[in-house]
Amino acid sequence: MLATQSNNPALHIDADGNYDVDGHFKQLRGQKRLYTILGLGALFIVLFFSLWFANETNSGKFLDRLPHFFDFVGDLIPRDGWEIGRALFDLSSPYFDGSLKFNYPEGRVYITESLYIPEYFYKMIETLNIAILSTLIGFIFGFILCFLAASNLTTERWLRFVVRRFLEILRAFPEIVIAGFFLAIFSLGPIPAIIAVSIHTIGALGKMFYEVVENADMKPDEGLRAAGGNWVERVWFGIVPQIMPNFLSYGLLRLEINVRASTILGAVGAGGIGEVLRLSISRGHEAKTLAIILILFVTIVCVDQLSAYLRKRIVGNQAFEFGA
Amino acid sequence: MLELKNVTRRFGPNTAVDNVDFAIPEGQMVGVIGASGAGKSTLLRMINRLIDTSEGEINFGGVRTSALKGQQLRNWQRDCAMIFQQFNLVPRIDVLTNVMLGRLNHRSTVASLLNIFSDEERAMAIAALERLGIEKVALQRAGTLSGGQQQRVAIARALMQQPKVILADEPIASLDPRNAQIVMQSLKDINQSDGITVITNLHTLDTARSFCERIIGMQAGRVVFDGGPDDLTEDAARKIYGADNLEDAFSEAVTSTSLNGSRSKSSGSERPPVARPAAEQNPVYA
Repeated sequence: MLATQSNNPALHIDADGNYDVDGHFKQLRGQKRLYTILGLGALFIVLFFSLWFANETNSGKFLDRLPHFFDFVGDLIPRDGWEIGRALFDLSSPYFDGSLKFNYPEGRVYITESLYIPEYFYKMIETLNIAILSTLIGFIFGFILCFLAASNLTTERWLRFVVRRFLEILRAFPEIVIAGFFLAIFSLGPIPAIIAVSIHTIGALGKMFYEVVENADMKPDEGLRAAGGNWVERVWFGIVPQIMPNFLSYGLLRLEINVRASTILGAVGAGGIGEVLRLSISRGHEAKTLAIILILFVTIVCVDQLSAYLRKRIVGNQAFEFGA
Repeated sequence: MLELKNVTRRFGPNTAVDNVDFAIPEGQMVGVIGASGAGKSTLLRMINRLIDTSEGEINFGGVRTSALKGQQLRNWQRDCAMIFQQFNLVPRIDVLTNVMLGRLNHRSTVASLLNIFSDEERAMAIAALERLGIEKVALQRAGTLSGGQQQRVAIARALMQQPKVILADEPIASLDPRNAQIVMQSLKDINQSDGITVITNLHTLDTARSFCERIIGMQAGRVVFDGGPDDLTEDAARKIYGADNLEDAFSEAVTSTSLNGSRSKSSGSERPPVARPAAEQNPVYA
C-alpha cells in the first residue's frame, strides 16, 4: 500500500472535484512518521548487535572488567605531585634508588656544558619534526601532481587516470602499515616514519588539492590562454593565485593530523614521543607517563589552535576578497 | 588580411557558426552584432583558437591559423589578443603584473614563473596603463577594481602582446554606459593610432554604428549583413535580430554607450563626444 501512495494530489480529489489538502497532508505525514519509526528501529537493532558482537569477541567481558578501570588510574598516581614536573624537566628525584623509574636526569640532551633540553621535550621535537617534514614533502608532491589529476587542466584522460589511481594507492594504506614495511628496511628511527607519513600525505593532500583546482574559476586561465601562455604559465598565473589559500589551509589541517600520526608511529618503533610513552606505560613509570601525556596534550592543543588561527586568517581573507 | 573561408562550428547536433565567409583587411574596426546565440562569441573564439573550427579555414597574412599547433599556435594567440566580457584577469594579482602577463609569449617560461620582468617590460606596462588612464591603480589587486577599470586593464594587457588583431567579445556588456563609452573609445583609439585591426562583438546597434566602420550581422550562425553603418537600415536590423527582438536591439537603456539616451534611431552615424581623460571622468579610484 505504501508503494502505491505517492505524492499525488489526484488521489485526494473527491467526486465534486475538490482537492482535500488536509487529508493529503495527513496521509503524507503518516507516511513520513512510519518511515522514521522503521528507520530508528533498524538503527537500534544494528547498534545492539554490533555492541554484542564487539563484547563477544573481546577477551574480557566489558561489565566484568569495568571495576578494574580505576586500578589503572591508581597505578598512574605518582609518589608526589612534583614528580611529574621533575620527570618533565629531567630534574633529579628524591626517591632515586638506581632504578629506571626515577632516573629522570639520564635522558638530558646537553647543548652546552650546563644547558640541556629535557628528554621529553627533545622527543616531542623529534615527533613534530617528523610531522612537519612529511607535511612539507606531501605538500610539494601533492601540489605538483594535483594539476595533472584535475579534469579542467589535464585533458589527456589517460594521464589523469594514471595520476588519480597513483594518489589513491598512496593514501589507501594507513601510515602504520607503510611504516611497518619501511621499518623492516631502514630499521628503527624517524626515517621510516617520515617516509610513511609523507606517502600518505601526498595521496591525501593530492586528492583534496585537485578537487580545489577543479572548482577554480577558469576565466583567468582563459585570458592567459588567449594571450598565448603555455600550460605551465597558465597554471602558475591563472590557477595558483586562486587556490593557494585553500591549499595552505588543507596543508595546515594535514599538519595537525600528521602530529597525531607520527606520535602513534613512535609507539611502533619510529622514535619520538610515542616510543617513550609506550615504554613508560608498559614499565609502569607513573610520573614519566603523566609527564609525557601532559607534554603531548599541550603540544597537540597548541598545534591545533595555531593552525586553526592561521587557517582562519588565510581562508577568511580569501572570503573577504571574493566579494570585491 | 584576416580571411574566413566557409567556417563552420558544431556543438553536438547544434551548428553555432554556419559557413561563414568574409575577409577583413588590416586596420579595420569591425563590429559583429546579432541576438544572443547567433554565434558571435564562437566566431571570435575560433579566430583566437580558444576553440577549433569544425570545417573551413581561417587565414591571416597567408598563414592558415586554424591549423596551427603548439608554439606556433601560441604565437598566433599572442598576435591576436582577446578581450572578454568578464575581463578574465587574475583577480588576486596586482594590475601591473596582470598587464605584464600579456608578455608571457615573448619570454621564457622560467623567467615568467620567477616573476622576472625586465625594466623595459615594466615601462611598457606602465605606459599602457597611462594610455588607458588607470596608472593610479597599478599596484592594486585586479579583483578590487571596478568593471570599467578591469576592462581597461584587460585592454592594456592586450596592448602588451603587441598584437596585430584585437578581438573583443562583448567588451561592454557588463559595464555601465559611461565606462562602456570609455572602453569603446579606447578600442577605437587603438585601432586608429596603432592601425591594429579590431573585431568586436556588440549587442546594441547604436554602439556598433557609432564606433565601427564595418558591421557584420549574424543570425543563427550565418552572416546576414555585411556593410557600413549607414547601410544598416531598419530592414537590415530586422533581418539580423528578427522582428521580436528588434525593440531590444534598438533600446539604448540596457548596455549602450550613449550617455544621454536622447539620440534617435535614425541618427546612427553621429559620433558620441570624444572621451575626456579618464582621470577627469572617473575620479572614484583616487
